[in-house]
Amino acid sequence: MSGLVKDLARLIGDNNVLFQPEDLLAYANDATHYFRTQLPDAVVLPSSTQEIARVQAYAYEHQIPVTPRGAGSGLSGGATPVKGGIVVDTKRLNRIVEIDRANMVAQVEGGAVLQNFHRAVEERGLFYPPDPQSMSVCTLGGNVATRAGGPRGVKYGTTGNYVTGLEVVLPDGSVIKTGGKFVKQSVGYDLTHLMTGSEGTLGIITGVTVRLVPLPPAHRTVIVVCETLDQAAEIVSEIIARGAVPSMLEFLIKLAITVMNNYVSQPLPTDGEAFLLMEMDGTPAQVESDVQTIKEICRDMKAQEVLEILDEKAAQSYWNARSNIYPLIMTIFNRCTSEDITVPRSRIPDLVRAVQEIAASVGIMIGLAGHAGDGNMHPTVLQTEINDEMAARANKAIELMIRRGLELGGTISGEHGIGIHKQEYLAWELDQVQIELMKRIKAAFDPRGIMNPGKIWVEGGAQ
Amino acid sequence: MLKLENYEAIINKCSHCGYCQATCPVYLEDMLESHVARNRLNLINQVLILKTMPSTPRFREILDRCLLCTNCTQTCSSKVPVDEIIIAARAETGKSTLGGLKSFVMSKMLQQRGLTGLMGKAGSLVQKMGVAAREMPQLASKPFSQIYSGTIPAQGEQRGRVAYFVGCGTNFLYPDTGIATVQVLTRNGWEVVIPAGQVCCGIPAMAEGDLAAAREMVATNLNLFDLDNVDAVITDCTSCGMMIKEKFSKMLNPEDPLQEKAQAWAGKIYEITDFLQQQGLSDRPASLYASFTYHVPCHRGWSPTVVDAPRELLGNLPGAELRELPDPEKCCGAAGTFFMEHRDLSERIRSHRVEQIEASEVQTVITQCPVCRFYLSASLNSQQVTHPVIMLAQAYENVSQE
Ligand SMILES: Cc1cc2nc3c(=O)[nH]c(=O)nc-3n(C[C@H](O)[C@H](O)[C@H](O)COP(=O)(O)OP(=O)(O)OC[C@H]3O[C@@H](n4cnc5c(N)ncnc54)[C@H](O)[C@@H]3O)c2cc1C
Ligand code: SF4
Ligand code: SF4
Repeated sequence: MSGLVKDLARLIGDNNVLFQPEDLLAYANDATHYFRTQLPDAVVLPSSTQEIARVQAYAYEHQIPVTPRGAGSGLSGGATPVKGGIVVDTKRLNRIVEIDRANMVAQVEGGAVLQNFHRAVEERGLFYPPDPQSMSVCTLGGNVATRAGGPRGVKYGTTGNYVTGLEVVLPDGSVIKTGGKFVKQSVGYDLTHLMTGSEGTLGIITGVTVRLVPLPPAHRTVIVVCETLDQAAEIVSEIIARGAVPSMLEFLIKLAITVMNNYVSQPLPTDGEAFLLMEMDGTPAQVESDVQTIKEICRDMKAQEVLEILDEKAAQSYWNARSNIYPLIMTIFNRCTSEDITVPRSRIPDLVRAVQEIAASVGIMIGLAGHAGDGNMHPTVLQTEINDEMAARANKAIELMIRRGLELGGTISGEHGIGIHKQEYLAWELDQVQIELMKRIKAAFDPRGIMNPGKIWVEGGAQ
Repeated sequence: MLKLENYEAIINKCSHCGYCQATCPVYLEDMLESHVARNRLNLINQVLILKTMPSTPRFREILDRCLLCTNCTQTCSSKVPVDEIIIAARAETGKSTLGGLKSFVMSKMLQQRGLTGLMGKAGSLVQKMGVAAREMPQLASKPFSQIYSGTIPAQGEQRGRVAYFVGCGTNFLYPDTGIATVQVLTRNGWEVVIPAGQVCCGIPAMAEGDLAAAREMVATNLNLFDLDNVDAVITDCTSCGMMIKEKFSKMLNPEDPLQEKAQAWAGKIYEITDFLQQQGLSDRPASLYASFTYHVPCHRGWSPTVVDAPRELLGNLPGAELRELPDPEKCCGAAGTFFMEHRDLSERIRSHRVEQIEASEVQTVITQCPVCRFYLSASLNSQQVTHPVIMLAQAYENVSQE
């Protein structure tokens, strides 16, 4: 046992420290589908903020890199310990502390799993809309750290729109509480939202306070079958423009439907090229009127077919299949790299066209499934084989798509974060002045550069 | 064949999404990433396939700390057969050293039936190990094989003929399940054939990685049954059912002449309540005055309707009150003989299940797995645990009493 491991065991108990290579291997990766080999030197599994603070203070004193980790469902390599050191796994810090009806807010610990939280608030007739598709496993702390979103973003916004306060262990081990239960605050810099999206580079989020909304009483799922990708993209723009904003609006190509059909009880027709999977929510009357508006739009724009899914179980099975697309795709392909390009909604038809052109010119398959309602598409590069030539083509396609996304006034990441996966494109989107400013903020929080080093910008750390 | 080399391609189908965290009972207990399917797969790949890491005691321990409950495979949309890969890895790393009672159960009890002297021996072993009697299965005073055998004719008009595969749980621990199975089947017009000489389905040996022993049991059973003349093979145990449906053929070489029989079995195997629900009851039970809940066994993935059947058969009877648990499909922690060697872990997993059952305040818990039945009973004070077919048989008794 190394000195590091002994020290950590003394700080938080030997049951909460892992050091054998068979265990460490499991913390070298997140959900990005390429395997990394840099192991951490140790993993700690604390169950309290105090334990994390102790570990963090120790790491600060000894200048040891610390990588915070939630469920490791991230798609940017953010939770991978590229410089070794200590991984702080927050999954045992998972209590739902309070659901406060009177103030419509809730407090949870950083490692609480999103789906458990959804269940708890919905049992009380309340609603926490953010819904990254990994919700069965991902943590609230991870969601805040990546500013996660999901299909409901179109109507309700994403994690950042709900966080009102945080408890954070800073790199030197001190603990701060930002914001609170109030929904507004005008006191100095907004550290809550600086931490939101910080990808574990500024501190460890141990507590999260979010606001809640009332649970909508009614909802209905509608599926639109479209002849072409362009048509689907145009229908999306029109729906939003007409104000019948669905609570979820997903864009799916035929390939996605084909794999989803292996999963659902009532398979969907596959004679279209693109599909829109939508849900309307609100009062029964409002749902009814929104569904009528959508049907009208689809009729006017000559959609192939509009299916209203009245059977609750069937509807749920489509949404479950939607959240499983990424693993489902792997039954057919051998590697898939999911991008996160987001453009202003009106440019979705342009982005969809661009992706098709790039796929054709580079000669590789690119799947399209995304939260089209808020302009966030996940073009996914699909490799039938794993070899250098395929990999080179995949990279080429990714580069071209990202460039085109930026030209369309978009961003390289809507919700997954930069991590290590997108750091080489950071400077394509942000000018040097902004990057330098961010690095100075980083240095102010983390003068010793120990907090999740090697992420966001290429050189990493605070250098 | 469950050889690791046959899984080298499919192991890479894991997208590493991590969704298997959501349902792995072992992970949810300790939150160790190394125990989640995705990392078990990566570790097996590194140690046994790519050989970038040595095979160590910790590796074996991680392999062994898996219930083979298949919750991960059922969750996995990439359809990675995690359980089979873990079994193949266990087989490749050689037998683990089994604890006293477990090795006795594995080597003697399951392979040779009808040795009456064995029962006393098991009892004394339990005492020697200092295990509370309640925490070890008690053998029935008379095994099922001494209660029913041969052909039992249908009552009333015959609808068909079924073969009954009697699992070890029913034979040694719970003959009442077997009795109820025979009674309900015959009552509903099914002639029941129970071939003599049946042995264990092989799942415990397979789980241990002892594929040769498992293969032998599979072959013995396949040779005993004449499937041409039966409409279905009935099991009352979801684990036997999974073994027969999904693994029998994989225990044999691809060229094995028994393959054809294994396929035929896979096509005809039904869990008893699933069979009754699909065929419909010709004789209506009228009442069941009981509140009950359904503990869904983990080995349910082999039939899409096996979890609906008990609910549908019993839930609508007059007087029946089915109260669903918050998580009906949560594992109880027993997993065959797993609980004998991982007592602390199993007990912690069970405690969550027991908490939910106690909060439901039902009288009875139904489940189609004898090990779940035993293991939950051992920890429940106010509820009895039973097989749904036993409740159904009772419902008939209620009619005849009226
Ligand atoms: C199949 C699949 C579908 C997905 N769908 C979506 C989707 O629809 N929308 C979406 O936004 N994302 C999606 N994701 C990505 C991912 O689930 C999210 O980024 C999620 O927020 C990550 O949470 P996590 O707990 O797994 O964090 P991790 O992956 O463990 O970590 C992510 C980052 O946050 C940091 N971090 C984690 N916890 C903390 C903490 N407590 N304090 C400080 N930093 C921390 C880590 O260092 C890392 O940089 C998907 C992933 C998969 C595999
Ligand atoms: S659910 Fe399947 S694909 Fe996803 S990580 Fe687990 S084993 Fe791999
Ligand atoms: S079989 Fe069960 S215990 Fe084993 S890894 Fe899968 S879910 Fe976990």
